[in-house]
Amino acid sequence: MPANADLECIVKEFYAPLYRFAFALTRSEAIAADLTQETFLILTRQQAHIRDVTKIKSWLFTTLRREFLRGLRSKTSHPEVELKPEHQEQLVVESAAVQSIDAITILEALAQIDESYRTVLELFYLSDLSYKEIAATLDIPIGTVMSRLSRGKEQLKGTLAKAASPNKTFKSGRAENPKR
Amino acid sequence: MTREAAKEILSAFRSVEQDGADPAFLEALEVQSRDPEVKKWFEEQNEIDRMLREKLTQISPPEQLHFQILGRIRRERARVLPPAWLALAAVLVIGGLGLIYSLGSFGPNRFREFRRDALAMVSVQPAPKLDMKTPYLSEAKRFLQEHQAPIAQSLPPALKSMSTAGCSAFFWQEHPASLTCFKLPNGQLLHLVVIDQAAIGNGKIPASFQSEQGWHMMFQQKDGLLLMWASQAPMEKLKQMLVET
Repeated sequence: MPANADLECIVKEFYAPLYRFAFALTRSEAIAADLTQETFLILTRQQAHIRDVTKIKSWLFTTLRREFLRGLRSKTSHPEVELKPEHQEQLVVESAAVQSIDAITILEALAQIDESYRTVLELFYLSDLSYKEIAATLDIPIGTVMSRLSRGKEQLKGTLAKAASPNKTFKSGRAENPKR
Repeated sequence: MTREAAKEILSAFRSVEQDGADPAFLEALEVQSRDPEVKKWFEEQNEIDRMLREKLTQISPPEQLHFQILGRIRRERARVLPPAWLALAAVLVIGGLGLIYSLGSFGPNRFREFRRDALAMVSVQPAPKLDMKTPYLSEAKRFLQEHQAPIAQSLPPALKSMSTAGCSAFFWQEHPASLTCFKLPNGQLLHLVVIDQAAIGNGKIPASFQSEQGWHMMFQQKDGLLLMWASQAPMEKLKQMLVET
């Protein structure tokens, strides 16, 4: 496991993508910052037990997601509402339309994606993890990652197409932020 | 491989640089290279992925988050370290290693390691990485205090009114340390690295100036701290500022 100087390098390299991932999960700057800090604190405490430094990136995202879910589980009064694929219109967004959409709108679109696809997409877009790293992070088979990415991207295109249209309406499908 | 199977696999493709050599994508990439429909879909998907990533990168973390994380890590380490040191002390006593320590064979090696690492850090070109850039020594000191890094309480008078380039708080082998860079009138930098004396052991610290690869260094022990001064400015100039004032 890295020495202290390396730990600071790890913070510098990963705190921004971790924060973005946390923000996508929570939609709250304060909670996202808290989750990011907590993740690095856990790394500090557990660094002696981490043998494979090459997997540090997926370890960080796994830990952050676990902490988020832990907080979410403690708040049971706000069950997550999923938007099922069959409820979505089959619209297709083109790259030119994506150009006009901002980051928050993309997050709102992601929040409407079916949860099982959404997490894979968030890791793909926000953490830049490989499909193997996503599989390790979520503890699911590689083939499942690929199929979820494929279906999730199709859903996202439909949602973004609606967002890009002038009479768009967005309702967040994300559960409320866990109180931490 | 069918079109749909190729598309599913290629959905996990990030970029040629990142995934181009991954054998898992080879067959699907081959399909898209000879199937215009898959090729068009793949190019469009890649463009959408690139734009989504680019836009999501615009979500900036709070300005102070980086420093807050480093601060919490340092506090956590400081909280955890004492028991480790007690354990280490016990091992030293039980093992009779105190004898080696008292003979000084432990200190000089640690000192040489520190001197080597600190010199490597300050000699980075064009300048070492700084956590905070500020011309004000007071601001640099405040930053270092907030990050629980050691600070030299008394500085040579010539430096007290001198501008700084900034400072950094870091750890050297589990020990908090600090770097403050002063801007000399001729534009060169004078670096001050500070660390707890305990980090170096009780080895002999050279009292005179040292030179290595165009760098001049001086070491001082004050208030339980080891101060390392390093600069590429002329030796005489350094002596004037650090010793003769």
